[in-house]
Amino acid sequence: MQLNRRQFAGTAGAALIAARPLASQNTPLTVALAMDRIRQNIGVPWKEPTIDGIKTGDETASVKSVAVTAMATMDILAQAVRDKTNLIVSLEPVYFGHNDGPPPPNPQAAPGRGGGRGAGGIAPDDPVFLAKKDFIAKNGLAVIRLSDHWRMRTPDPFAGGLAQTMSWTKYRAGSDTRFDIPGTTIGALADSLANKLNVRAGIRVVGDPQTQVSRIGLLPGVSALAASVKLLPECDLIIAGETREWESVEYAQDAVAAGQKKGLIMLGRVVSEEPGMSLCADWLKMLLPEVPVRWLSSGDPYWRPA
Amino acid sequence: MTAKEVLALMKQNLGSPWNESTYRDVFHAGNPDIEVKGIATTFMATLDLIQRAHAAGLNMVISHETTFWSDRDDTKDLTADAVYQFKTDYCLKNNMVVLRFHDHAHSHQPDFITMGVVRTLGWTPSQGPGPRTYTFPKTTLGEVAADLKKRMGTRAFRVVGDPKATVSTASVAFGYGMGRFAPGVELVMGGEQPEADSALDLSSYVRDAAYFGMNKSQIILGHNISEEPVMEDAANWLRTFVKDVPVQFVRSGEPYWSPRNG
Repeated sequence: MQLNRRQFAGTAGAALIAARPLASQNTPLTVALAMDRIRQNIGVPWKEPTIDGIKTGDETASVKSVAVTAMATMDILAQAVRDKTNLIVSLEPVYFGHNDGPPPPNPQAAPGRGGGRGAGGIAPDDPVFLAKKDFIAKNGLAVIRLSDHWRMRTPDPFAGGLAQTMSWTKYRAGSDTRFDIPGTTIGALADSLANKLNVRAGIRVVGDPQTQVSRIGLLPGVSALAASVKLLPECDLIIAGETREWESVEYAQDAVAAGQKKGLIMLGRVVSEEPGMSLCADWLKMLLPEVPVRWLSSGDPYWRPA
Repeated sequence: MTAKEVLALMKQNLGSPWNESTYRDVFHAGNPDIEVKGIATTFMATLDLIQRAHAAGLNMVISHETTFWSDRDDTKDLTADAVYQFKTDYCLKNNMVVLRFHDHAHSHQPDFITMGVVRTLGWTPSQGPGPRTYTFPKTTLGEVAADLKKRMGTRAFRVVGDPKATVSTASVAFGYGMGRFAPGVELVMGGEQPEADSALDLSSYVRDAAYFGMNKSQIILGHNISEEPVMEDAANWLRTFVKDVPVQFVRSGEPYWSPRNG
């Protein structure tokens, strides 16, 4: 499978070059064409069912400019309109949940992974949903969600992006999620992450700020206990996006109480995924050469009083 | 009295039927046949908590949450893990035993969870639209957040929304749950929840509501902060029928610190 993926990545490179002449032709790049080009060049086999695709907007519209982001919040959409950008490529949902909109009439028919307990998704008459939908329609925006397939790429673009943001690419140690960085303390590292990723209150840390660390494991996005149990024994500290308090958080606490000099930093899911989407913007620049493409930071959703 | 006998007394005194098929409310570490010298009730049987209970001479830990890091305390893939081995050995060597008390802390009437948190908040159950809704004199999200920080001693809770938004009605859930924006609700609170790609992503929802100036706010307390007070109520309840050994509420504590506010 690994080899196959590499072969696909190679093929994708060739396809990218082949895509360039398209730019010189006078065929306008529509939202649907952009989606097709993503599907054909993503570098991994396209899987169905998938949450990836055009989630909202007119797919026949000509793309003027593209914004790539971890989450298409209203702030991002408003920024796009100011920038005369009409296509947004978003990792996370635009309409507040896995369904990207109100759930299908039969909840059993809902695709995929689900998540939160209880609530069945956004109500069709919800005022925030309707206002966002209206803003998107009035401004001629379209949103493509690119999540499942961007996550499948190797090497892991989210770990790679995070490492690049921290200037750690040269410290890669074997697997694409492991980096051996110059020795620092958990406290200094948490500060450095908060500064470079422009984090507000979303960053949370388990472990002694004075503990020395250098072997770093990266688990951006959401991760389950098994990933931490595999990674923490071979490193000093895991930098994660989102984990559960009764799973990886307690595991890291227990490692510390057992006398291990270890720690866990949680950045928040969206913040941890932002650098991976910056890499996605770089990739889309090559794939959609006829229009400007840029990355926009969705920012940390959280604050707390000082 | 053995740990097993303590569990038998809990079943007798619960006041509602004990679900014998529970996979949660069973012994998860140590030997249930050991003689109990003292009981520590807590939110989470972390190794640190077990070590502190041991130092205090309390060899039975009754914990709301997990011992081995997953809801089922499934240890089959953990047997080679150094932390798992350390924690297991520590319990056996020091005659510590851990019982989980989760489902039946919720089924006890009144629900321990609600009692504990609402008392700490100082809010009065309501008058508001629906269960677990609370109304209070009109204030701002910023004021509510500052008050919570003071009352609950949290270092790492998280807030979404405009600090100047007015609030007088909150929908509150605990643990892995979040309140609902029923009509009239301006603030939802809960312990923890997925940040994105769940059935309903309330953090991004509140963020976008704030953009439109709609009056919606969210406070994510943390799982521990939202549920820890329950186990103080559980300790009080245990003392009504466990008379021979000390019963203490011992905080496992908020697991995080944060280098940033903002």
